[in-house]
Amino acid sequence: MDHRSVVVTGLGAVSSLGQSLKETWDGLTAGRSGIAPITIFDASRFRTNLAAEVKQMPSGFPPALTRRLSRSDLLGLAAAREALADSGLLLEREDPSRVGVVLGGGVSGLLDSENYFITLNSKGPRSARPSRVLNHPPDQTTDRIAEHWGLHGPRATIATACSSSATSLGYASDLIRHGLADIVVTGGADSLARLTHGGFNALRAVDPEPCRPFDRRRKGLTIGEAAGILIFEAEDRARARGARIYARFLGYGVTSDAHHMTQPEPTGEAGARTLRACLASAGLAPEDVDYVNAHGTATQQNDPSETAALKRALGDRARQIPVSSIKSMIGHCLCSAGAIEAVATVMTIVTGIVPPTIHYEEPDPDCDLDYVPNQAREMKVRAALSNSFAFGGNSTVVAFGGVS
Amino acid sequence: MIRPYITGAAAVTALGRDIATTREALASGASALAEVPPEGLPPGQEPSLAARITFFTTEPELSKAKARRWDRGSQYIYVASVQCLKSAGYDVKGREERTGILMGTGSAGAGPLTELERQMAFESPEAASPFLFPYTVSNAPGSQTAIDLGIRGPNVTLIQKDPVPLNALLYGRMLLSDKRADAILAGAVDEWNLIYHRAYERARLTGTASHPGFSLGEGAGTVLLETEESVRLRQVEPLARFAGLASANLPVSPQRRVANPDRMAEAIERALADAHVDPSSVSAVHLSEDGCPWMDDAESRAMERVFSGQPPRSLAIKRQLGENPAIVAIQIALAADSFRHDPNQNAVLINAFGAGGNFACAVLLRP
Repeated sequence: MDHRSVVVTGLGAVSSLGQSLKETWDGLTAGRSGIAPITIFDASRFRTNLAAEVKQMPSGFPPALTRRLSRSDLLGLAAAREALADSGLLLEREDPSRVGVVLGGGVSGLLDSENYFITLNSKGPRSARPSRVLNHPPDQTTDRIAEHWGLHGPRATIATACSSSATSLGYASDLIRHGLADIVVTGGADSLARLTHGGFNALRAVDPEPCRPFDRRRKGLTIGEAAGILIFEAEDRARARGARIYARFLGYGVTSDAHHMTQPEPTGEAGARTLRACLASAGLAPEDVDYVNAHGTATQQNDPSETAALKRALGDRARQIPVSSIKSMIGHCLCSAGAIEAVATVMTIVTGIVPPTIHYEEPDPDCDLDYVPNQAREMKVRAALSNSFAFGGNSTVVAFGGVS
Repeated sequence: MIRPYITGAAAVTALGRDIATTREALASGASALAEVPPEGLPPGQEPSLAARITFFTTEPELSKAKARRWDRGSQYIYVASVQCLKSAGYDVKGREERTGILMGTGSAGAGPLTELERQMAFESPEAASPFLFPYTVSNAPGSQTAIDLGIRGPNVTLIQKDPVPLNALLYGRMLLSDKRADAILAGAVDEWNLIYHRAYERARLTGTASHPGFSLGEGAGTVLLETEESVRLRQVEPLARFAGLASANLPVSPQRRVANPDRMAEAIERALADAHVDPSSVSAVHLSEDGCPWMDDAESRAMERVFSGQPPRSLAIKRQLGENPAIVAIQIALAADSFRHDPNQNAVLINAFGAGGNFACAVLLRP
């Protein structure tokens, strides 16, 4: 194909493990848990009051701006600030119409609009500030990043629940490959909210204890919040400016399970189709893949279905390579999960360290792959996949490869 | 990138549950805008208008028994999608993995979300319905439709203010160009919600009898994008060609409606250039005009500039159907459908100038 190659030249992360890429990555490779009791709203009456909450919100933005931001916006702006600085880009020298923003989002400013609903119902319309509910939509963060850095290029926000920000990486790469942008700020940000916590509780999909992906005793997920931002750049331009290149975005698969609104397709065939689509897009054979960053939610249904999908798509290779779930440490960050997990996947390739699946003690016969239990592992990783499977059967798998 | 064909078009609107009824109602000058009853408004505040779908049946496309479990957005887009596939003569069966669905939205899930919030806040956290929760996500309408129609290709929901259906068209074009699918339903869906309506009203953004402003609408619009090869193999006559699209965004605060005729004109000119169409060849324009005075004035000035004072026939259906991303998708569907009914139609421009400086335009051509 004559399309341009897409590379990663900047990374940023904010999570329950820390306010930066370094803090997050150090925590992940140390096997540290960011899961603790929720403090930002009263969760005492739910099945669990645990979540992977960002304990200290980022600072350093003008107070006049911070006042107008939702929690998700602030996480997203902080991760974008780190990623843009990390990329070494001098935006004032770039054509702003060639710099785009493509993020995944969903929960976004919901916490603000929840406070609006409560005030509206308890104190009446005069007391409820409408700006709080207008701050809810997920494209707010996308627009805020474009506004803050003066970016005029293409913009899009993907809202496919838990695969949102993985899909945003695919859309962003397509913009560059098809010549519609040179640089795209991509990834996603999402935050905790009462409704999502309550909704997963109502579905009885949360574990009262910190989640245990792939473990036989798993009882469900733990919600988290995070932002992960990647700077995607056309490789020719990145090389011309002498940028440090972390990894190459090799391709992605995006498909529909067409099975059920909340349940994964149990045989794994739907997930396998997404994996095969990703391999085809990336030009990879199963033996080229050295690591899989799993969706690994720790629900009863996801983990065996994902295991089966990996075995169907990768064949024997699935049993030879590590497959880990960082949700065991930073929770399920919903619409930003694909982004923060993509950041971790890139770091795995760059550092040669595979983050572990913690709280893994009892193997499940239906989950019989190498889940990197409890301790990080050093190994060379040439190419890696990151899986994201969502409500509604919106499935996306992305592939990154190392650069020489 | 390829310039895909459009082989089907459908709309569910406040003026009709199909595209033909909607087209005729619009042509007769009918308006769906009506005052929303003032309950919940602070005393003395004037109620604003909205274009709501007041009478809607999902039958014959979807049984009432099944529809009862779905949110309104899912019902609207499912009905529109079935109608669209029927108008294209396209059967998903046997093509499941080669068919995709890309939906834009601004408000999908609003009804279930506000009801779930009410349950948790005023009954108890334990009262939260597990059946409502899956429909609070924005991708529920697109995904419910994919599940029911057996669509297994790319399935993505997008949000980016009013122009988001154009994002869906663009993404569809990229996915078809990369051979990830042969045909893709692309459109948008929105549901009107009283709590959100009241928030816009309190912010004095919506129009009232005495105060200008836009009016919220609801509904669904979709077209079937198809590759040339698929059209040839199926031996169907396409409605239109999706020939060009461009954006000229401004970095401003997300809710700010910034009037910038220069950037609006740039978006139009770039879309026309992408379609290789001279302004003089444009036979009709679906305007972004929605009742917001400074935005409508800026669009007029942009049109004057691009078309040298001789703008083509202009249609401002947001004055009749309200505004929301779904209405832009309905404009796309109507534009595609117009080639079938109007022999003088050669090229149609669709303008979408939304809040947050999100400006985009698309061009459809007679195939």
